[in-house]
Amino acid sequence: MAVGTILRTVKQAMWLGWKVETNWADPLVFAIYYLIRPVAGLLIVGFIFLIGSVVSGTVDSGLFTYLFIGNSFFIYVVQVMMTMTMLIHEDRAHYEVLKHIYLAPGSLSWYIVGRALNGVMNASVSLLLSLGLGVAIFQYGLGINIPINWLGIDWGILGLGLLFGIICFMGMGFILCGITIMTSKVQFTLPEYVSGILYLFGGVVFLPEILPSWGQHISNALPVTYFLNIVRFSFLHQANLDVQMNLLLLIVTVIATVLIGLAVFKVAMFRARRNGLIDKKEEY
Amino acid sequence: MMMRENVLLNMRAAYARLWVRIKGGNREPQWLIAETIIPIITLSAYIFLYKMVKAPPEYSGFVIIGGTMMAFWSNVLWNMSAQFYWEKEVGNLEVYLVAPISRMAILLGMALGGFVNTTLRAVAVFIAGMYIFQVPFAIYEPLTALLIFFLTIGALYALGMMFASLFMLYGREAWHTANLLQEPIQFLSGTYYPTTSQVVPFMVQLLSSLIPLTFGLDGIRKVAILGLGISDVWPNIVALAVFTLVLLPLARQALRFMENLGKKEGRLTLRWQ
Repeated sequence: MAVGTILRTVKQAMWLGWKVETNWADPLVFAIYYLIRPVAGLLIVGFIFLIGSVVSGTVDSGLFTYLFIGNSFFIYVVQVMMTMTMLIHEDRAHYEVLKHIYLAPGSLSWYIVGRALNGVMNASVSLLLSLGLGVAIFQYGLGINIPINWLGIDWGILGLGLLFGIICFMGMGFILCGITIMTSKVQFTLPEYVSGILYLFGGVVFLPEILPSWGQHISNALPVTYFLNIVRFSFLHQANLDVQMNLLLLIVTVIATVLIGLAVFKVAMFRARRNGLIDKKEEY
Repeated sequence: MMMRENVLLNMRAAYARLWVRIKGGNREPQWLIAETIIPIITLSAYIFLYKMVKAPPEYSGFVIIGGTMMAFWSNVLWNMSAQFYWEKEVGNLEVYLVAPISRMAILLGMALGGFVNTTLRAVAVFIAGMYIFQVPFAIYEPLTALLIFFLTIGALYALGMMFASLFMLYGREAWHTANLLQEPIQFLSGTYYPTTSQVVPFMVQLLSSLIPLTFGLDGIRKVAILGLGISDVWPNIVALAVFTLVLLPLARQALRFMENLGKKEGRLTLRWQ
């Protein structure tokens, strides 16, 4: 497919995704909506940490920062998983437009990439707002020291981590798209399963060393673990973290995830067309 | 219509809706499995977080009780409050509205059916959480625990009935509002930690006291984990009873008001909003 057609498909899909996500509310309500959920999520884990620490007698600001960065950046996983799973259901069963998109000259895969990129854009807005409010609440409101030098962020490392991380989450999203198109009524639970497992084993809010040994093996196999290690390094520059090795492991796991994702999606689309599932009706 | 006939008709309507809810809620085995496993995954992450900071084991119990009760809140939110939005999308809402029955009977059926379904899942989450994390429970007054539990459920479903009136009118806003009432309510009601802790700011405690779930969770934790009795939790019992008594008539009024508004604005049968 010509590069121009691909770019146009991605751009239109992003625009469509933005409209679908935002045109139910005025910009202020939308901004509040995109702020409240991630901030509330951060407050939940922040208060669990604080209350638990106060009871046990020590508040470790290093561990809090670990949790703060991990939970804030995990929004990308949640948003991409949710967007890519729901769009198949919504476009096929709710708005009944998937068949038209499938017939259009642009590729469905690039359309999905465009919708996922819109999810990334929304996640970035939520991330910035929750980082800002998180610092305001925890550092200035509750007096917890968050040892981040905001002017010393390693943007190169952060950019690389984000780039590979987002590609990886899209790869996972393609697996979910493939499963969703072959099934029905799993669109709500599927992304929750996946993001829940990644949240538990990916070293998001607690150190993977706390997990039992089998859990640590799972953690070591997940790209999200390396993604968050790299993101944390770009903020904290920990001397004990081998960022090059983490980057290498992230790239390896990203390649594996993307290859599996595209294969699953291709097989699913082939079977969906053969079994007449592309315009399958559900409850609407 | 005679009052007795009217009551019987509404009870039959409630039973019919209850039957659909139980049948519909359990016909997809993957939902049953998902609704048990997903909360355990999330709860596990919070329990490991408590373990990382070396909090006492009863805090793991707080998380398990919070997660169990959260199943009921999710049910109230998605399968009762937001249900009128789904019914509108699939074309059932107008059928309810033209039937000679009270909207409250429909909602009562949904509530009872949802309660049965959610109890199955909540018990599974509770037992799995207890077994996996070996949480120490100290229940000396099980009847008090049950009383607080049922009062909490009553207050939550009354709140759900009130929200249902809003969801009757709105489209995607309803979906997003239901989404919005998840994490913020978990945060404010202290689903995974005691809001009475000195760490929680006064303003947050004040806001949390507007949510019935806060009193329910606090009461159940005191009785089930800290081994306290009715003499320690009577304020929770009074608060929950007041919530139920206030919210139920408010829900009835709100439903009537929103239905009339919907009729005037022609939004009761509007799809794809």
